[in-house]
Amino acid sequence: MALPVSLRNSVTPPELELIASEQLVEIVPLIAMERTAFISGAYGPLRPPTKAKIPIWMAMNLKFKKKCHIVPPDWLNVEFLQERLIQETSRPEFSQLPFRFAEVAKLLLDVAQDDIQNPDKIRSLLKDIREARQAKSREGLQKIDHSELSLPNLCSMEINEIRPFFVRAMGVLTHITRDAATEARGFDGL
Amino acid sequence: MSSTNVAINGGHSPGYTALAFSRNGAYCYTGGDDCIVRIWKTDAPDEEPAIAPDSGEAITVVATGNDTWYSGSKDSDVRQYRSGSGEFDALVTSVAGVSIRSIAVDPAGKRVAVSSDELEVKIIDAEEIEVLAMLHGHKDCVRRVSWDPSGSFLTTSGADGTIIVWDMTQQDPRQVKVLDGIIPAVKDKDSVEFAHDCSAVWHSSGQYFVVATRTHEIITISRETWTKSSTFSDDSSSGAITALALSVNGVYLASASNKSVHIWSTQNRRLLFKFPDPLSEMVTQLAFSPTKNLLAWTDYSGTLYRWSDPIPASSPSPVKSSITASATRPIRRQATPTLFDDDDTTGNNNDKGKAGGDVDMDGLNDFENEDWILDDIGGGLNDEPEEERAGVTGFVKEMVSVTKAQPAFQPGSTPMEHKKRYLAYNMIGVIEVTDQDTHHIVNVEFHDRSARKAYHFTDHFKYDLAALGERGALYACQPESEHPAHVTYKPYGNWATQGEWTYELDDGVKVLGVAAGGPPPTKSLRMLSDGDMQGNGNVVVATSDNELTFLTGTGIERCSVALDGDFVSMVAGPEWVFVVQRDGATTMDGSQNLTGTLYDFEDLCVLQNRKLPIRKGHTLQWLGISEEGAPTVYDSAGVMYLMPRFRIPLRGTWVRILDTNKLERKVGKDESYWPVGLSGDTFMCLILKGRQEHPSFPRPLIQELPVRLPFRRKDPKEGPLEEHIARESMNLLIGHDALGDDLATDDILKRELALDKELIQLIQNACKNDKLPRALELTRMLHHTASFDMAMKVAAFYHLVGLQEKMEALKDDREDSDRLAHGRDKRRRWARDYDAVPPPRLPPADVVSSRTKAFQDFGPPPSVYRPGLTRATPAPTAKPAHNEREYQMDDEYTTPPPEGKRKRIEEDLSYRDSTSPDGVKRRVLDAPPTETMPPPPPKQKSNPFAKKTAPDTARNPFARNAEHNKSLHKSESFFDKVDAVETGKLKRLSLYELIFALY
Repeated sequence: MALPVSLRNSVTPPELELIASEQLVEIVPLIAMERTAFISGAYGPLRPPTKAKIPIWMAMNLKFKKKCHIVPPDWLNVEFLQERLIQETSRPEFSQLPFRFAEVAKLLLDVAQDDIQNPDKIRSLLKDIREARQAKSREGLQKIDHSELSLPNLCSMEINEIRPFFVRAMGVLTHITRDAATEARGFDGL
Repeated sequence: MSSTNVAINGGHSPGYTALAFSRNGAYCYTGGDDCIVRIWKTDAPDEEPAIAPDSGEAITVVATGNDTWYSGSKDSDVRQYRSGSGEFDALVTSVAGVSIRSIAVDPAGKRVAVSSDELEVKIIDAEEIEVLAMLHGHKDCVRRVSWDPSGSFLTTSGADGTIIVWDMTQQDPRQVKVLDGIIPAVKDKDSVEFAHDCSAVWHSSGQYFVVATRTHEIITISRETWTKSSTFSDDSSSGAITALALSVNGVYLASASNKSVHIWSTQNRRLLFKFPDPLSEMVTQLAFSPTKNLLAWTDYSGTLYRWSDPIPASSPSPVKSSITASATRPIRRQATPTLFDDDDTTGNNNDKGKAGGDVDMDGLNDFENEDWILDDIGGGLNDEPEEERAGVTGFVKEMVSVTKAQPAFQPGSTPMEHKKRYLAYNMIGVIEVTDQDTHHIVNVEFHDRSARKAYHFTDHFKYDLAALGERGALYACQPESEHPAHVTYKPYGNWATQGEWTYELDDGVKVLGVAAGGPPPTKSLRMLSDGDMQGNGNVVVATSDNELTFLTGTGIERCSVALDGDFVSMVAGPEWVFVVQRDGATTMDGSQNLTGTLYDFEDLCVLQNRKLPIRKGHTLQWLGISEEGAPTVYDSAGVMYLMPRFRIPLRGTWVRILDTNKLERKVGKDESYWPVGLSGDTFMCLILKGRQEHPSFPRPLIQELPVRLPFRRKDPKEGPLEEHIARESMNLLIGHDALGDDLATDDILKRELALDKELIQLIQNACKNDKLPRALELTRMLHHTASFDMAMKVAAFYHLVGLQEKMEALKDDREDSDRLAHGRDKRRRWARDYDAVPPPRLPPADVVSSRTKAFQDFGPPPSVYRPGLTRATPAPTAKPAHNEREYQMDDEYTTPPPEGKRKRIEEDLSYRDSTSPDGVKRRVLDAPPTETMPPPPPKQKSNPFAKKTAPDTARNPFARNAEHNKSLHKSESFFDKVDAVETGKLKRLSLYELIFALY
């Protein structure tokens, strides 16, 4: 695995994608199917041309077999992402995006490029957003103290990215402050 | 169309001869190599023409303005004359020693474009005689210039082979487009090719221009894309095109090639007429008279030909027609490729209005909003108010029937735009057509690819009507010169070509509409399935003979039903066809006066016959079938209507089910909805932005909008609930009507139950707000008897004892009369003849009940026998028997076991009973032993209604069963063991009780 050592202990991006693929997505089925029970729940019925909501993994599977068109979620379009990118670059806080937007966007762009309008533009926008957010999360990490770090609207992929560093840094910080406290108490005792 | 109506006048010496008609059509000017211009009176072919001998060298061009005419010659002068006179009026311009090549006067007669052997094109103000602009851009001399009908574009054709389109609306003209490689590049100015017409001839709609290419084709260039949009081609026309002309109304195109003159239709780009006599010389210029049915041309010998009445009286006139709108107007279909795009035309009119350019161009450009008749087809519904039209053209407003009649149309089809159109777009699939000039490519795709297979074919008949039914697709074409109109039915399925058939109509009879209906397939039509058993559906063809021809799906003629009005549109469902026709004429006050009739396929009798609820001033836009099978219409006001109780003969009403103007999403947006279908609670449509009237290509996604009855209650909690209850009740009524002799289906009962829940919520709300009559009213609307108990509980909760008692009374009433049986009797009384077909796309009922499919069983799993978890009773021998018994129990719910098997089980049982110490004990305690033990009676496939009559016992099914079993059976021990199994089963059977237990 080509991940840096620091990331190997935490969840890998493909694993996150797997988790995200449980989310529901709208499709336009091209086949008819009765309501069908799966371990995670019952989905369907599929009645073309009525849209249906099914998990992403199932939509991907159907898409591979050319049995559905995926309707991209309302945040996966150029206008929305453009606006978010402007927010991201002009404001200090993280803009509001779906928690697993990175994973879902990647999955859908990989599988259903032809169902999404202007996929290349979306890809580059997503990349820009990701970079802007990465810069912010790095900056946020500088403000870390031993008790809390507040980064609202951080997304799962980003949390995962900063996790190893954050956990260690937090540990070290807690250690230092505790040491300082005990030392201070020691001095008091004297 | 013989040579007798051709006037031939040799007026000039041999050489290039120019020709132009005056704008009022009274004069015809010809200029030739002999340096003079002759002014012919159009009416008097034999009269000696006046002459204008001012030029010093050969005349190269004559052009006409409003009351002036211009000549250009090789002596580099452009002269202006008064209309009809040969007296020199003014010198417009002159260039430095080279010859003038082309003059074009803009439609308003104000600007004159002059091209010469110089590289620039001069734009000159005709009144002030001053140069307004010089157009720089060509690399060689400019051979021809032409204006578009609005005067906003100028096209210049250069000798270097480029056409430049200039935007002339601004002070400084700018290049819009340079079209290279279309016209030939001709360097030699004395060659014959140089005299060939290379000008861009604008169509009067302003949407495109026609030009002769270097490959000897005539093509049209669309204004929107500036690319080639279509080709005029015919085998009999070959060789270089030497001259081109369009009739003033744009219906006909005249071309000269190979010493012959052809007339084409601009609508279908087919060759219509040919000048009968052979010509001796090459034609140099062609012109249609602006006011008469007259085509004139000049040739290289300096001769003027005037062919009067080139267009026979049976065809549309090449000049404007003075027909006013009246009810006797022939039906014109909107769905065919229209000559002009209606919306574009009106848009163009607006443009012109803004530019103020068409004020004084009498009789040149206002034909396009005229109502000339074209072969019953083409053109569309012109939405302009009649008064305005009458005002423009100066006609007296007719006092009879001034509402424009809506033309016949095919639901779900669009006109040809950019060489593509939809022939059908419905809930089954899409038929797309691409125009390839000589033929069409028809592409059929289905939404459900698992059920039907997509296909495409090459269509040489240019089918312009199609219907996509559940069991086959139907295509129809119009009569052409060599073949009469016909319809072709292509059933789906693997062996489609075998089932395919063609039905020819009589000579001259046109097809106005087609519909293909039939029950939906129960299985995929991709496999070879029951399709043969259920037939290929039904086919209905509406013809110009004012009749509907009913055929079966295999092409058997069944009936020809006479129509009592003009046919407008139709759509076919599984059991019926819904035909919309106009009763007599439109009314004076703006109503289309449409009537919808529902014909039953089985016996071809009328099921419903009602006027369509379309408001005055609006038109019918779409008609279809809802998923429940009810007829639906959508009007241009954006309101959708449904006839829910269409099964009750002649009692259906139109219910307003959706007003798209009130949709939440429409607020603040300029969009319209193009209906595709209606399924239960969703309105399937394509969303069109702005002023778009038809969906474009590529195929947009179908959007789902929620159906909302246009109710007015604004209460945030009760309003939506009431609306939903009303809507759901309506859908339930459709379901009930379709039941026939059945009492109810599981689906209906489930939906009624859900509805009852919502009613209880409303009852609770009413109780809370002390609206007792309302609560009582709502109680009366409840469906299930058990729901009454819930209502009573609600009343008790709010300490409304009086109400509770009244509810009790209502409940007693309800229990006395069987609601479902009553409904069935009513149905029987009303509609004995109209049996419903099985619900769509579901396997037959017996299959459902006998086997539940794997993965589609949502009940709890059957409990597994786990010997490790049972009480420690040493009964090793009993185990196999027990297991067998367990499976047996499963079977008993569905099919009684065969006799022999039953006996064996009894033996097993007795064997086990005697060996099990536990069993023995129980038997002694509970039941007196009986010698012949019957197997436990098979649990009947329980009808929840049977149980409902005794709700208190139904509360605890387990208790009751235990009691029953005790008296019936010899042994109790077995039932102890299978108790777990039974609980699972029972729960599933009495889903009804389970749901109620949830509240």
